[in-house]
Amino acid sequence: MEIKAIGCEPLQLKRMHIENGHTLDVYRQTGGYESLKKAMNMTSDQIIDEVKASALRGRGGAGFPTGMKWSFVPRDSPKPKYIVCNADESEPGTFKDRYLLERDPHALIEGMLIGAFALGVETCYIYYRGEYKYLIEIMDRAIEEARQANLVGKNILGSDFNCEFYTHTGAGAYICGEETALLSSLEGFRGHPRMKPPFPAVEGLYACPTVVNNVETLTSVPQIIEMGGKEWQELGTEKSGGTKLWSVSGHVKKPGVYELPMGYHDMEKFILEDCGGMLRDDKKLKACIPGGSSVYAMRADQIIGKNVTLDYEGLVEAGSMVGSGGFIVIDETVDMVDSTKNLTEFYKHESCGWCTPCREGTDWLVKIFDRIWAGGGRPEDAQLILDLCDNIEGKSFCPLGDAAAWAIQGAVKRFPEDFKKHLLQNGNGAGTSGS
Amino acid sequence: MAEELIKVTIDGQEFEVEKGRPLIDVINEKGFGVPSFCYYADLELQASCRMCLVRIEKMPKLQASCVIRCTDGMEVTTKSEEIEKAQRAMGEFLLANHPLDCPVCDRGGECELQEVIFDWGDVEERFDEPKNAHPEKFLSPIVANDQQRCILCKRCTRVCHEWMGEDAIEAGNRGSNTVIGTYGGWLNCSQCGNCIEVCPTGTLLDGVYRHETRPWELDQTITTCTYCSDGCQLSVGSRADEVHRIVARDRYVNGINGEFLCIKGRFAHGFVNHGDRIKTPLIRYKKGGKLIPSTWDDAIAFAAERIKESKKAGVVATSRLTNETVHTLKRFADECRDGTSYAVSDTYDLAPFFENLSAPLCTHKEIRFAETIVVIGGDVDEEQPLTAKQIRQAVRNGGANLILVNDTPSRLSHQASQFIHVNPGTVEAFVLALADPSAADMAAAKMGIGRAEIDKARETANATKGDLIIMFGKELGAEAQAVAANLPSRHENRNVKLHPLAGYCNSVGASDMMPGRKPVADVVAGSDALLIAGSLSDEEFAAADLASKPFVAVQELFLTDTAAAADVVFPAASFAESDGTYTNNDGFVQRVRRAIDPVHQAKPDWMITSLLASELGADFGYSFSASAVFRSIAESHEAYEGLRYPDLKDETRPVRVKHKLVSGADVSGAVASLRDRVSQFPDAADKITEEPRVGHKLHRVTTMTGKTPQFHLLANGNPKPDDLLVSPLFQFNPDGSPKKEEESEVAAG
Ligand SMILES: Cc1cc2nc3c(=O)[nH]c(=O)nc-3n(C[C@H](O)[C@H](O)[C@H](O)COP(=O)(O)O)c2cc1C
Ligand code: SF4
Ligand code: SF4
Ligand code: SF4
Ligand code: FES
Repeated sequence: MEIKAIGCEPLQLKRMHIENGHTLDVYRQTGGYESLKKAMNMTSDQIIDEVKASALRGRGGAGFPTGMKWSFVPRDSPKPKYIVCNADESEPGTFKDRYLLERDPHALIEGMLIGAFALGVETCYIYYRGEYKYLIEIMDRAIEEARQANLVGKNILGSDFNCEFYTHTGAGAYICGEETALLSSLEGFRGHPRMKPPFPAVEGLYACPTVVNNVETLTSVPQIIEMGGKEWQELGTEKSGGTKLWSVSGHVKKPGVYELPMGYHDMEKFILEDCGGMLRDDKKLKACIPGGSSVYAMRADQIIGKNVTLDYEGLVEAGSMVGSGGFIVIDETVDMVDSTKNLTEFYKHESCGWCTPCREGTDWLVKIFDRIWAGGGRPEDAQLILDLCDNIEGKSFCPLGDAAAWAIQGAVKRFPEDFKKHLLQNGNGAGTSGS
Repeated sequence: MAEELIKVTIDGQEFEVEKGRPLIDVINEKGFGVPSFCYYADLELQASCRMCLVRIEKMPKLQASCVIRCTDGMEVTTKSEEIEKAQRAMGEFLLANHPLDCPVCDRGGECELQEVIFDWGDVEERFDEPKNAHPEKFLSPIVANDQQRCILCKRCTRVCHEWMGEDAIEAGNRGSNTVIGTYGGWLNCSQCGNCIEVCPTGTLLDGVYRHETRPWELDQTITTCTYCSDGCQLSVGSRADEVHRIVARDRYVNGINGEFLCIKGRFAHGFVNHGDRIKTPLIRYKKGGKLIPSTWDDAIAFAAERIKESKKAGVVATSRLTNETVHTLKRFADECRDGTSYAVSDTYDLAPFFENLSAPLCTHKEIRFAETIVVIGGDVDEEQPLTAKQIRQAVRNGGANLILVNDTPSRLSHQASQFIHVNPGTVEAFVLALADPSAADMAAAKMGIGRAEIDKARETANATKGDLIIMFGKELGAEAQAVAANLPSRHENRNVKLHPLAGYCNSVGASDMMPGRKPVADVVAGSDALLIAGSLSDEEFAAADLASKPFVAVQELFLTDTAAAADVVFPAASFAESDGTYTNNDGFVQRVRRAIDPVHQAKPDWMITSLLASELGADFGYSFSASAVFRSIAESHEAYEGLRYPDLKDETRPVRVKHKLVSGADVSGAVASLRDRVSQFPDAADKITEEPRVGHKLHRVTTMTGKTPQFHLLANGNPKPDDLLVSPLFQFNPDGSPKKEEESEVAAG
């Protein structure tokens, strides 16, 4: 398990290898809470402008510009306002937030405090996925430490700024990472997504203005305030500012969490050199899913020799997306029908059941994959799968349905050979390989 | 609500519509039509079925038209290849795991899913994988459930939450395993059946009607419910002179209640064709003898003879009778024999209220959109369920203030913005406090509340700009009613409206029909020959000692205590067998329509009374037509002047009778005696803190409800059976005890 920065100073990963980096003392010794002090001498607009200038885009998956999201909050609203940290991290292939939560909890608290100060928020929630329950203790301890140091609670650092923190855990549902479902769950309801508009920034938690941000998004904020938005942006590209964490898994020698500057050149080098190359030297790269399971898988020939840069624009141009940065490397031993069947099962299992196309579509798709895997593939199945994906995509209530459709469409369209093999062997017994 | 008009283009045609209206409504109203399942006007938006997709210019993907509000210049396409593909795809998805068992489904023929799919006509089934299968089961004695047919539109859970405030059902599990279920596997709710009614598919099913007929075999008769004073409109489904089910009609046109009904209105119709109905007239020739079946001619002649012989006759009407009947009884009293006294048996007499009425009655629609609602006494959830639903929606969906004054907590009190929890039996003191500020401190003390509570309620009322509705229940005695009726004239707000929480379906009408009535006890005591239409209440019956009366004639459906004590019993037709009208607590006079011919030898009540009258020499001029009786009503009651049956044809536009308003009446006498009475209330008392169980009144077994066997199980604790796949009726005795094995096998087999 590799945790390191390549092509930049470790910012997000600054405290990953420092002993007791999760404690307040060490956090302060390494510059912690200085940004908060700095921010508390700035106006709300100045803080938001710095975040805008940083070109920080949401690290939860959608990549929405954070400064802009913050500026949507009606600061003059008489209602209470909230910041909710999305620590639900459940996109398959994504595990970066876990390390931040475990080893650098104060960075998150500081980031949220800066946001809270800028937006007039007095209550912050950190929503953990159910499986991260064991990490909550670390955060609760950090919050307590911060409270003792007058960094959380009433009259923070002697000012009239009050801010309370609460941690909360979900019960194990991918959908609760979707921001509106997260809010429903946080309110104590079933984790169903809600209609947008109204967007959470205007009507979120308890129908009050709410900013929902990913862990990594929020831990970037102290760095931005410390170095200045413009400087932070310049670490990356014009539209994709700063650095970003990638959760690398799959068939590489050195899987782990990597911090790269946005615009890192290039993807091929990253896989074949930085991550230690292919796991088995005699097995070739077949595919890579760069942004978590919900983005289009890329074929090796879309990567090798194609100068793909790792940033929002570069990956879109290359036919995929940054998503959550869950970087899954796949070698030639993998049958894409098998891996896609697995992902389809995931989406079926995680569909919340609210809307027709996602609920019924994923169930149907799993049944088709089961049949194919049992040797009952039919030549027309590929077309049927694509048509069902088309009937889900753009029609579902929330993006989970779209994500399922993209993951499956990507595989069927880009790896037709694998599908052909199964669909032509109609009735010839069970599937061939595992991975 | 004068709204700004804007322009919207639908399929190339331009329309002017009110800004902000739901696009789906506009599309449908303008005749374009878009299929939909989860959308339901006036329920929270759901947008989950994804059936109503349309294309809107400048929007990236197809949009669910149910959540789109019309804006100026919006250009909408409802028909294109892309849209049809999407809509058909949703239909295909919904049918994927659907059992396609329409031929054995009770909803077949009335199913919205079936309708949408049939409209396309040529749906090809591509899904040939194994379906997710589940057995059909019972959720309660009254609610049956086939989860395979569910399309998860969640209309059911929304009505249960928003209309009923019960939250008895919710979705469980996730994804394609999602299922609408109960908490604990058994429904312990009010059993209103509204979830069944709004279910677009055959998932939630009427357990009373289950597998009795196919819906299209039923004659549907639109009529008015015979239970409470709300006067819901409903459709009686009958085949071959048998009533099989009751439903609310189409949600868009069904009168004041839409698809809402309560358990009694929807399910308690078993009495109509029940075997215990009185089949022929009965005569007790000699005191102490038996009631012996006779002919109509003999029974009428016998009764007329006895009434002629009597010194003083008396007439007692009951408030479940039609206006036509009560009016005829009044004429009987006036025109047959001099000095005949008359009374109406009811939970309470509304005369003092109507005599002092200083503001109009409110309509149920006005309740839904009221700004402030003050409910003094009563038990709305159990006794006027439609009113309760309107209040709940006003609060929940409309943000209304709800001030509830009661000595007992209830479901509604959880929703009140101010629940004024008073000492037992002291709600009248609140009326006094409102009418006479100088008595407010004393009233507060008697009610066991702080004076501030009264001031706060008054402030809320004074700050109200929209409708301020005052409701009151049977706790209010004559003075308090008079004072309450007079309250609006003391209030600067012009939009004060009143809503009496009257007891029965025709409490208001019976009160209108019989001005000058006396208390039942007086009439009984002062007469040696009595004609009673319906039955006395238990207390009235106990006090009346009918056996000691020289002569008693009773018009009834069943041999109740009152009927059994009579010397002549006339078999009366039920509401499902008669034409007539009821006047509800909105003051709407609504039609009762004959769905089936009278059972056995029964006759409509008004006809029985007028036959008897003509035997006594009085000719009312209407022998066989209820509409002629109504004409007589219109001629003799000012509030009904000029009305005819054709005016009452359309239940979506109910007609209001014109109750006279008295403004500036002097009620100081009533206030003074109310103050006197309140001052005698005890100074201290223990408050009632226990909330009665849901259904404590709705599930009560009465002469009428008791004929539907499911009510016995509900009244006896609604036990959960071991086997959910078999009707609880086969597993339990009416008293709720489990049936012995051999018995239940015989019953089930
Ligand atoms: C199905 C689904 C799952 C998601 N899961 C997560 C998650 O686990 N963590 C996360 O930060 N964002 C997740 N998101 C994205 C959130 O909806 C939201 O965009 C994000 O939390 C916003 O924060 P950001 O702007 O900082 O990225 C998910 C979105 C969808 C549609
Ligand atoms: S797409 Fe629909 S069913 Fe799927 S998770 Fe979103 S709302 Fe739920
Ligand atoms: S019967 Fe009425 S109260 Fe019971 S679950 Fe259905 S809607 Fe809710
Ligand atoms: S039971 Fe009926 S109303 Fe309820 S979700 Fe299913 S189909 Fe809709
Ligand atoms: S009616 Fe619009 S999504 Fe169901």
